Amino acid sequence: MDRFVFLLGTGLARGTLFALFALSLVLIWRATRIVNFAAGAMAIVGVYVGVAVTGVTGSYWWGLVATVLAGGLVGLVVERGVLRFASPRSPLSGVILAIGLVIVLQSLLGIAFGQQHEPVPAPFSDRPLRVGGVPLLSPYDVFVVVVALGLMAVLRLLFVRTTLGLQLRAAAFAPEVARLLGVRVARMRTVGWVLAAAAASLAALLAVPKELGLNPHAADMLFVYAFTVAVVGGLDSPGGALLAGLTVGVVMSLVTGYLGATLAPVAVLALLVVVLLMRPSGLFAQAEARRA
Amino acid sequence: MSLLRTLPMRRHPRRTAGTLVALVTIVPLAACSTPTASPGVDEETVTIGTHTPLTGPAAAGYSSISAAASAYFDYLNDNGGIHGRSIEYVVKDDAYNPATTQTVVRELVQEDEVLAVVNGLGTPTHSAVLDYLNENGVPDLFVASGSPSWDQPETYPWTFGYNADYITEGKVLAHHAQQTYDDAVYCVLGQDDDFGTDFTVGLTTVLDELASTQTYSVSNQDVTAQIGAMQAAGCTVNFLATVNGFTALALGTAAKMGYRAQWLSSSSGGDYPTLVGYLGEDVGPALLEGFVSTNYLPFSADDPWVELFQKVNDEYNDGAPFTGNTVFGMSVAYTFAEALARAGEDPTRESLVEALESGEVVGNGIVPLQFGKESRRAFGGVGITVVEGGVQDYVGEVYTTDTGDGDVVVYDGEAVALENEGIPEG
Repeated sequence: MDRFVFLLGTGLARGTLFALFALSLVLIWRATRIVNFAAGAMAIVGVYVGVAVTGVTGSYWWGLVATVLAGGLVGLVVERGVLRFASPRSPLSGVILAIGLVIVLQSLLGIAFGQQHEPVPAPFSDRPLRVGGVPLLSPYDVFVVVVALGLMAVLRLLFVRTTLGLQLRAAAFAPEVARLLGVRVARMRTVGWVLAAAAASLAALLAVPKELGLNPHAADMLFVYAFTVAVVGGLDSPGGALLAGLTVGVVMSLVTGYLGATLAPVAVLALLVVVLLMRPSGLFAQAEARRA
Repeated sequence: MSLLRTLPMRRHPRRTAGTLVALVTIVPLAACSTPTASPGVDEETVTIGTHTPLTGPAAAGYSSISAAASAYFDYLNDNGGIHGRSIEYVVKDDAYNPATTQTVVRELVQEDEVLAVVNGLGTPTHSAVLDYLNENGVPDLFVASGSPSWDQPETYPWTFGYNADYITEGKVLAHHAQQTYDDAVYCVLGQDDDFGTDFTVGLTTVLDELASTQTYSVSNQDVTAQIGAMQAAGCTVNFLATVNGFTALALGTAAKMGYRAQWLSSSSGGDYPTLVGYLGEDVGPALLEGFVSTNYLPFSADDPWVELFQKVNDEYNDGAPFTGNTVFGMSVAYTFAEALARAGEDPTRESLVEALESGEVVGNGIVPLQFGKESRRAFGGVGITVVEGGVQDYVGEVYTTDTGDGDVVVYDGEAVALENEGIPEG
């Protein structure tokens, strides 16, 4: 039982990070109906900036702010400079541009900062607190959970309660009608990218202390798992991303603990296949009518 | 064929005939002007190549190896080269992707016409070109991997390994642990491929029991579940078949969980400067105090080889961080130069392999290389290093053993001494 509780705690901590990153994918999907395959590499650019700022100012929090701002700026540049030129006729065009962008960004980061992993310390203790002798979540894990929940609440408010949110949704959902009604669709897309890229950078900054360290590829696997999470949860649903993120984290932890590490990625893929067979639009996707 | 096709055959039959006659006479003359017809060798240079990850996620751990080797070749070339020829080292990036390895190694052989492939890196990557190189009779020297599969002279006569194999490392570490720790509970964390499996085979050859056998997958940088299991199983002495990054993760995770144990690592994941790089200058040295690893190359700071390599690193490698990878890359380069020096004034692919089979190429390790007609295994033994006061150095005996169930025995010979400033003479 102790072992189960321990694995559950480990999985939840990991799953929160997946959920946070998946949120950025959901965001961009809601705003533009694009799955951003460059999300990982773009997020890492923001993290490099943030870590540099922390190094100069000595404050983690200035670094965090810088990460979010730099991430948003990357989103702006990428949308205006690259993805805007994707052909609207083929969804593949955007995907291929994004993959090209991954190669360019990772190579540039490698040239500028080298390929070695740079350790990034956590702002809070990452020693797990023991409950009944079983190591559970650490203060840092709790911080990540709070950030994830907070970000979700903010996004929900933004999308549901504000005019900007309504315009974002309209622009993504029915661009032509929205344009006729006076929504500046192109600007809304840019806003969507900025928000999503900023959220992804934040997620990557929080994930890096739990992994090998900062490196041009530091968000590669995070992106892969977060993509799975977003699809399982329903690309449309922030709540789905959170629940699916926690599910994937716990599944990986339990499978690693009871069956072996090799099977963990397989189990995640199996989960993805089952969900796609049972509910192709994801577990928590809203009604069919919401589809673009 | 393509040359003939470009000639204007139909319109000028006579000129064609004349050209053909000229060609027939010139070709053998041209061949005579260079006495060796061996690929990769001309009057001035010997061209060799390698495949290694320079980009992609694996580059962080390995890209410094080929840079160090290139630096050593530059040093050699500036000091006269081997038999008057300089060595050109063509480094091809395969991003640790076996499909790319196949492409770049074919380029090396067919376009760059290398004499040999030297220090191709990685078990999955190099396995993809093992048959190709042997079918084409291309010397495949000093593979950068501890897989025992390079030691198959019957099937793969052109392939020679380099790293001490994982079975040997496992056996020696297990033997060392038995000698050193009383009432220990032994456990292992291994990579979920041949690295972890072979290493664990080595361990269980010597030890009666492992209380917990954990694996990790490189696709998941979270080893909390595994370290938690080892902690719960009461493991006190933990063996690691992990690459440097995951050694750091294992130690870091254990520290966070308040779990103290003795860690003993394969040489593939036991390089102190690299581990401190991952863990950070602030906490790394404290976490690594007492850390045990194997090694088979010169490593002590006052070793003449290390002093030479540091000098070469400063002068020819822009003073890059000096790590185990630096020593590894330069040692491989030295060993190739030594083999080339023994392969005669005009080396060929055959004479290169003959030189290695003669057993005269000893390398620069703490035990001499044991290549021979029946052996493609480079190092038959390893030493034990311990981190003490922030310095990783050899302690105690050097051990040799086989890859079967033979005993682990103390090696009583000497390490290979540095001669002639590390420039091999023919």
